[in-house]
Amino acid sequence: MSASATQTALYVYGVVALRDVPSLEQDPAVEIVQEDALAAITRVVSLDEYGEDTLRENLNDREWLEENARAHEDVLLAVAAVADVVPFRFGTICRTADDVRALLAEQRDALTAGLERIRGCVELGVKLWADRDRVEAALAPQEPAAESGRAYLEARRNEQRRAADIQAMCNEVARGAYDRLLRLAVAGVVNRPQPRELTGRTEDMLLNAAFLVTAGDRSIAEEVERLDRELRDLGFSVEVTGPWPAHNFVAAEGEAE
Amino acid sequence: MSSRELATTGGGGPAQLADVLERVLDKGIVIAGDIQINLLDIELLTVKLRLLVASADKAREMGIDWWEGDPFLSRGAKNDGIEGRLRKLEEAAGLPTSKGDEE
Repeated sequence: MSASATQTALYVYGVVALRDVPSLEQDPAVEIVQEDALAAITRVVSLDEYGEDTLRENLNDREWLEENARAHEDVLLAVAAVADVVPFRFGTICRTADDVRALLAEQRDALTAGLERIRGCVELGVKLWADRDRVEAALAPQEPAAESGRAYLEARRNEQRRAADIQAMCNEVARGAYDRLLRLAVAGVVNRPQPRELTGRTEDMLLNAAFLVTAGDRSIAEEVERLDRELRDLGFSVEVTGPWPAHNFVAAEGEAE
Repeated sequence: MSSRELATTGGGGPAQLADVLERVLDKGIVIAGDIQINLLDIELLTVKLRLLVASADKAREMGIDWWEGDPFLSRGAKNDGIEGRLRKLEEAAGLPTSKGDEE
């Protein structure tokens, strides 16, 4: 609760090649910090908001988190519309511009490699959803209600078999869709499906994938439309999101390639 | 560089919060700044856990595990990294860890 002068720091959104800086839109909120051939997209933030202690509280404030996560993404989206950008994870904060420059110098190789990896590309998200009831209905008609004990057991067994069949079919559809899309992409990654609490949908997410594609390339989007048409009657739907900055394709850690 | 023609895809509305959080909190390059945000230390965990732990478990519960046995896909999914991070998250949250809980 002190009334001392507000201290500031620099929030780093991501990094572009210095040669791309002239093409960036003039955003008065954004400050470019350059070092060698790299430039960081930053913004001055108040430590009242982004200082160590308050930040911790703010991160646990759902509204603050949503607002700021979206703001982070919006800045990156605007940059990604005109240049290759290596997105940083939310909450990378340096005290001064000199610290940002030091960070750029220190991480030059990783950042340059990241920029190289995503050159001319954007990320698309693809999700495959299953409406379990419709998938089930499409796969096999419902058994008539059992009358005798034996018929009941038989029906239970059939039910289990059907559940296994549905599962196998879902897995096959998800894998098949991913493989088809991967062929059209520069790279792909499969993320964990998001739970219903987060999606707020009644369908189950079977596939949560991201693809790296050349900017402006519509082939993934078109293939998604085709897949969606092919699978719709079976109770599946396929959706594409994006283009996103290439969040899924810039990290060097744990890379197996 | 001239302006890119970005493919216009998706519903056109604002991106789903889950998609934004997944990317912004869990992806992207991680470089330690001067102010340490340790996402693992805080209750943002609830968000991360729901994104990662809950989804993985739920997916398995529902039998969605087709990526797990496939070395190509699980490599793509950075399985090892995720397992390691999950364990840390679970420990931090005081949950039983997922390693070795499958009988």
